[in-house]
Amino acid sequence: MSTVLEVLRPGFLLRDALVASVLIGAVCPLVGVYFVLRRMIFLGVALPQLSAAGIAFALLIHRMTIGPHSHGDAVDAMLARGGATLFTLGGILVLAALERRGRQIVEARIGMVYAVAGALTILFLAADPWGEAQIVNLLKGELLAATEKSLAFLAVVLGAVILAVLAFQKEFLLVSFDRDLAVVFGKRVAAWDTLLYVLCGVTISFGVLAAGPLVTFGFLLAPPLTARMLTRRMLTFSVASAAIGAVSAFVGFCAAYRYDMPLGPSEVAVSAAVLLAVAGLRGLRRRMAVPRPA
Amino acid sequence: MCVLRLRDVSLGYGRRAILEHVDLEVADGEFVALLGPNGAGKTTLLRGIVGLIPVMAGTLEHTVDRRTSPLGYVPQRESLDPTFPLTVFEVVLMGTYARLPALRRVGRRQRELAAQSLDLVGLGALAGERFASLSGGQTQRGLIARALAAEPTFLLLDEPTAGVDAEATAAIMRVLTRLNREQRLTVLLVTHQPRMLQGLASAVFWVQDGRVTRRRVEEVMVAGA
Repeated sequence: MSTVLEVLRPGFLLRDALVASVLIGAVCPLVGVYFVLRRMIFLGVALPQLSAAGIAFALLIHRMTIGPHSHGDAVDAMLARGGATLFTLGGILVLAALERRGRQIVEARIGMVYAVAGALTILFLAADPWGEAQIVNLLKGELLAATEKSLAFLAVVLGAVILAVLAFQKEFLLVSFDRDLAVVFGKRVAAWDTLLYVLCGVTISFGVLAAGPLVTFGFLLAPPLTARMLTRRMLTFSVASAAIGAVSAFVGFCAAYRYDMPLGPSEVAVSAAVLLAVAGLRGLRRRMAVPRPA
Repeated sequence: MCVLRLRDVSLGYGRRAILEHVDLEVADGEFVALLGPNGAGKTTLLRGIVGLIPVMAGTLEHTVDRRTSPLGYVPQRESLDPTFPLTVFEVVLMGTYARLPALRRVGRRQRELAAQSLDLVGLGALAGERFASLSGGQTQRGLIARALAAEPTFLLLDEPTAGVDAEATAAIMRVLTRLNREQRLTVLLVTHQPRMLQGLASAVFWVQDGRVTRRRVEEVMVAGA
């Protein structure tokens, strides 16, 4: 309890890191809801990897055009953000186009993206050995190093994602649940799909830079999977996913602070523990509801 | 007045035509069915009519403006993913999206429309249930309610009685009969069961060997289809 009170103090030293954690914990599940419902879970692994390839590419460009890297370099950070966004959005748009054409199996396409992104990351880093240390820092997710400025930028971007997801919820639901009906109604299905993918891409690329691929992937999936067991309406599903994500991030932050543990893994562990607890309780309730044979 | 007119239409997938030289007209307030053997192209024809696949040749014309009078479309129920956490009411509410532009939120009128549509098909009491928990017949009636929530004048259904028992089939046909006779809704449905059309459909479009011919229901029944 004293830890909770301490981190909620107005002058708390790591306040920006806490706010960034909770923000990512709330927004990733909001777009993750569509990953789960549209059965694109593996995309949650492939896209952060693609984001990493984008960062490696940006660092290589930096090395080739400007010169050696230095830790905390603002140009590096900006290039990394651009590279992550470019690669993630590019990948997601190519995957969306292939999905529309219906070529190959979905899992095969996503698997190939993951493999290619992994290979590209290594190749870019091989060509820029100085970038390796830099990318390790960036991909670890520098949540603890969040500054007021970087937090403000993250809040603006993720705030825009929240607004867009809420504003176009009915369109996203219609094209996700019954694509044919959306076509019959004359809706621009390709445009809505693209917008949804862009929002996912932006969330993932900023999530990866702020918190790392592990936290991003964890929060894309664990809270929606938990909320799906607890809710029966679409709106409550979305809201509950975001709330579970935010609370898990907060509890994970407090645990990491209290017991001096790594921040990202602590947050993911808490969200996974919530998922397991809800699944366990649900299973127990079901078992108790089944009448025993006489 | 004619609500749908096809002239020398070819439909198919990719470059392969499944149906060729299709001529077809449906009059306002008519009840017609697409019948034929398995794999003959009934669903392809329906998908072409509602705009899910492009017309390869010829002209397909809806005489009513689809922006002001959207089509009521009932897909095969297997095409919908049961993992979505949606109540029956939420699914029916989707029908009202046809007339709602982007950024316009669902309001009281849309909720009333969805509730009325559910009552029309006799599912009002199940509005709060999970859509995935409905039986086959109830799911079909739910999808009919969703189509009605779009306030259509033309209802198109893809095998609404496939895989449902006799009692549920009768309930679905009662709903369709009432909509056609009392609300003057034009109905076009794909089916395998000509018997249920007796005394109800004014004509049958027989789909076979890539062609479509208009026949009387009795003709199809005598032929033992």
